Amino acid sequence: MRTPTRPRSSGAALRRRGLAPVFLLPALALLGALVLYPIGWSVVRSLYDAPGTGFVGLGNYRTAFTDDATLTALRNSAIWVAVAPALVTGLGLVFAVLTEKVRWGTAFRLLVFMPMAISFLAAGITFRLVYEQDPARGVLNAAAVAVHDTFDPDPSYPGARPRPGGPATTSGGAVRAAPAPPGTAVAVPLVGLKPAALPAAAKPAAAPAAGAQGGVHGTVWLDVTPGGGTPGTIDPGERGLPGVTVRLLDGQRTVATATTAADGSFAFPGHPSGTVDLPAANFAAPYRGLAWLGPGLVTPAIIGAYLWIWAGFAMVVIAGGLANLPRETLEAARMDGAGEWQIFRRITVPQLAPVLGVVLVTMVINVMKIFDLVFVVAPGPVQQDAGVLALRLWLVSFGGGNDQGLGSALGVLLLLLVVPAMVLNVRRFRRSTR
Amino acid sequence: MTQLLTRPAPGRSAGSARPPRPRLAARIAARTRGGAVQAVLLVAAALWLMPTVGLLLTSLRPKEDSAASGWWTVLAHPARLTLDNYTALLGGGEVLGAFWNTVLISVPATALTVALAALAGYAFAWLEFPGRDWLFLVVVCLLVVPVQIGLVPVARLLGAIGLFGTVPGVVLFHVAYGLPFAVFLLRNQFLEIPQEIMEAARIDGCGEWRVFRRLALPLALPALASLAIFQFLWVWNDMLVALVFAGSDSQPLTVLLQSQMRQFGSNLDVLAPGAFLSLLVPVAVFFSCQRYFVQGAMAGSVK
Amino acid sequence: MRSLRAAVALTATLGLAATATACGSGGTASGTAADKASAKSLDGQTVSVAAAWTGVEQKNFQKVLDAFTAKTGAKTVYISTGDNVSTLVGSKIEGGDPPDVVMMPQLGVLQQFARKGWLEPLAPAVADSLHRDFAKIWADYGTVDGKLYGLYFKAAHKSTVWYSPAALDTAGVKPPTTFDQLLAAGHTLSDNGLPAFSVAGEAGWPLTDWFENIYLSQAGPENYDKLAKHQIPWTDPTVVAALTTLGKVFGDPQLVAGGGKGALQTDFPESVQAVFGDKPTAAMVYEGDFVGAVVSGELKKKVGEDAKFFPFPAVGTGRPPVVGGGDAAVVLKDAKHKDAAQQLLQYLASPEAGEVWAGAGGFLSPNKAVKPAAYPDDTTRQTAASLIAAADGFRFDLSDQAPAAFGGTQGSGEWKLLQDFLANPADVNGTAQRLEAAAAAAYKG
Repeated sequence: MRTPTRPRSSGAALRRRGLAPVFLLPALALLGALVLYPIGWSVVRSLYDAPGTGFVGLGNYRTAFTDDATLTALRNSAIWVAVAPALVTGLGLVFAVLTEKVRWGTAFRLLVFMPMAISFLAAGITFRLVYEQDPARGVLNAAAVAVHDTFDPDPSYPGARPRPGGPATTSGGAVRAAPAPPGTAVAVPLVGLKPAALPAAAKPAAAPAAGAQGGVHGTVWLDVTPGGGTPGTIDPGERGLPGVTVRLLDGQRTVATATTAADGSFAFPGHPSGTVDLPAANFAAPYRGLAWLGPGLVTPAIIGAYLWIWAGFAMVVIAGGLANLPRETLEAARMDGAGEWQIFRRITVPQLAPVLGVVLVTMVINVMKIFDLVFVVAPGPVQQDAGVLALRLWLVSFGGGNDQGLGSALGVLLLLLVVPAMVLNVRRFRRSTR
Repeated sequence: MTQLLTRPAPGRSAGSARPPRPRLAARIAARTRGGAVQAVLLVAAALWLMPTVGLLLTSLRPKEDSAASGWWTVLAHPARLTLDNYTALLGGGEVLGAFWNTVLISVPATALTVALAALAGYAFAWLEFPGRDWLFLVVVCLLVVPVQIGLVPVARLLGAIGLFGTVPGVVLFHVAYGLPFAVFLLRNQFLEIPQEIMEAARIDGCGEWRVFRRLALPLALPALASLAIFQFLWVWNDMLVALVFAGSDSQPLTVLLQSQMRQFGSNLDVLAPGAFLSLLVPVAVFFSCQRYFVQGAMAGSVK
Repeated sequence: MRSLRAAVALTATLGLAATATACGSGGTASGTAADKASAKSLDGQTVSVAAAWTGVEQKNFQKVLDAFTAKTGAKTVYISTGDNVSTLVGSKIEGGDPPDVVMMPQLGVLQQFARKGWLEPLAPAVADSLHRDFAKIWADYGTVDGKLYGLYFKAAHKSTVWYSPAALDTAGVKPPTTFDQLLAAGHTLSDNGLPAFSVAGEAGWPLTDWFENIYLSQAGPENYDKLAKHQIPWTDPTVVAALTTLGKVFGDPQLVAGGGKGALQTDFPESVQAVFGDKPTAAMVYEGDFVGAVVSGELKKKVGEDAKFFPFPAVGTGRPPVVGGGDAAVVLKDAKHKDAAQQLLQYLASPEAGEVWAGAGGFLSPNKAVKPAAYPDDTTRQTAASLIAAADGFRFDLSDQAPAAFGGTQGSGEWKLLQDFLANPADVNGTAQRLEAAAAAAYKG
């Protein structure tokens, strides 16, 4: 900021003094009526109850610090202020430095800067799509599931469970068949799947071929017939579950392992006795990614969206600072053989400190007023978990309860929180005029 | 400052001598590092592009498709893309009305802010009156006042004069809360005009109004442009103010879309194209005026 | 909440209107005994009517108003208030230019207006029609502090469980008549590979409707009325018992598609689509008569074939519940044409008026005298018959009776707490305590 020179008093000063009100009046009138007056009004109103008739002193402020939803909002606002500005500034710094080193840096900067022109609403809709929980529709969870499944493939029959009251039972997700007298088939009737969910290769359920019946043997099948059927027996048309891993246990020890055939049959030739166990991995629910918009992750997720919007701003401002840095120190350090990292840490960052400070403060002020993004991205059920001060203020003042006493108190709190920034601005201004 | 988006010329301060050629090992190291930098930036670029591409593709898919699978599956079946969502959206009239409302709010709110701030900024810079510095300090203080504090009292105020729920009401609010920054920016800009020029003009007998119109305004044009662009985007993108102050027949696009958000999954055929339409204008403004946009961003880092 | 329900009702009308055109003219022809107003007695008068209806609903209501004009000669002006009836009408009253008649969508607002002294009691002739042709409960819901102000013209029936006949047939399940049968049927459905219910947890209000049906049946109408007035706390044993019953559904992953977490990410149209869409992921969905409209309007399926309903079953030893809502016509005290306004209400109280809209679809009348033949299809006829049959057993949606901060705000109060309950159905006592705390704050304010 340049040191401004004050215009000297001249002969026409009187005339100009007369003109000043004309120039100033429209702006000052609006500022007075719509900005200054509301501040005073809010301070007074915050001392009264919801209908505005009873004086409650600081009661609304007490409510603000005891009411669950408002406390959550205060806590979230604190998280936002602590995390988001630092992340934005850090990422902006990294981008600003890195883009200096590549030929297409300008294009990159344009791309990253562009989201700043987009409304929080449009960005919010965009990120609702990104964070969609269903991996079939949400790109982030689709990626998470793809990575997960590379290492740990999907179970074959999620949701299948033993027929209630039937011979098989569950224990900790695994299916345990009832012991059968030696020589008879072990029946493992399962339900909970649509017949259409079986693989096309599945054949009508059957006991294993005679030759395999030397040891423990049996059938795993889907005991579901449209319209009813007889529970626990293989009705015509009921198909086996192919490819199920079956273990034979002796006490806790696994004696043998088999896989069911296309008709659901399995056999352990040479093992006359043991307990048949179908491990939980056959039936576990498939990995579905993370609940980005669940109560636990919703605030980090929204901060992620915020980062997408504002990192470009930080990058551009920091790049501006970078371009104005004296190059001599840099070149000198390079000639002395300093590594890029050392240059970055010892020279670039300290020299950029004033710019970084400005960006950080700007972001802190901005983050305190964050409203639209949270309002749009957080789904109804978690809106309270994701709540921030500005959102809470809006909900309290207009959303049904219309408690303008508490709403005003929250407004005054919000104003108090930006006072340090106000002081900072005034001091910068004072310095520049002195 | 106007060149921020273009790469600074390498070694522009050390224009005299070329640095000596680095040794071969160092050059190889630099090359691989360069590769790593390229890779990091490429990944970042993909991440930054992905959400918008997703939105665009979703907006071009039939509703049933969006309900069943993600937008990326369309890359395998590009023939499924259609403009139907857009035709349906624009055929309804409601969205066009809201789009028009957005224009009706943004344009006057921008013009008024710039005009009032230019007058006030000029007065603060070049006119003398008692309490000038003190008054300007108040404006500096108001820079950071959150709009939220004005919602309830201004709603009552506008209600009392019959402007609540109307376009002028929304415009007035935007102007008032845009003014502190605008006045601050333009006052500093006007101060940059050399005093000699101002004095010369005044001595020539130009009236103060002529000096303002013919001299100060043209000289401050770039700043006026940045301010106008920023204010325009701010108002265009606003949801909160319009949510409170606009009525059902004066609501802008953001408010209309917002009302559809609560049934997000079922309303994607409206939300996705609506959101894309709403970002077309600001992004177009961004790309055509990026120079001023950057200046605004730099100057805006106090608000 | 109002906005959501209005949206639902709008889609409802969109859907039903299409199927209804064939029998649309049925209602208007009768000009018989109910017709007491002398012909064209109101020539030159104008009645203004404010209501929340827009779009197709507005068009259909306009048909009713036009019929009134044809009959009496009075002109009508329709004012759409959108979702904020109370703020709009309130500001017009302050400004000294109120409409003559307002259609009140919520009981709470009706009471608020009456207590502020903004309403004119119903004329004796209107009250007579009301007592003759409506169940007593409707007069009760139109009465505030002993004076009769509201005439319910349009009703909603929210005790209908919609199911996919194909899914029930596949599992060999018959529509249940008791809550225990419902749970058993749900488990059988799940055994056959389809979770029993899709629950629209993301929306919030369907959860309050679930609770209200169970509570009305299990705790009885007297307790329901007390709870609605907050004369008994939400920690009352009856509430705890109802939450326990509700937890039997919400806490069972076989009964709720996607479990509690999945349900919390399902909005209302999605929940209907989950049952009646092309790839069903549940067998049943509970919500009001407007589900039928989503089925026919949004999903292009046939109500009565692809989608049927059974009444919400009785819980324990109680009677099957009939919970619902309605729009009440009131005359404002500052109305400039009170006589014409009362005449309009007189007309709205007649079966004739109800039959006009009934024929257009998306409408249930609380009037006993409205002929079943006036409704466009069997399913609507069934819901209408069930509503009339419930008579004084009918209860107004409890959350609509509560202050908006408790019963009608997204993300807070009853909506939010029942969503939390859906995520953690084991916490019955904690939920009851939090509900009581929220209710205490809202009813006080």
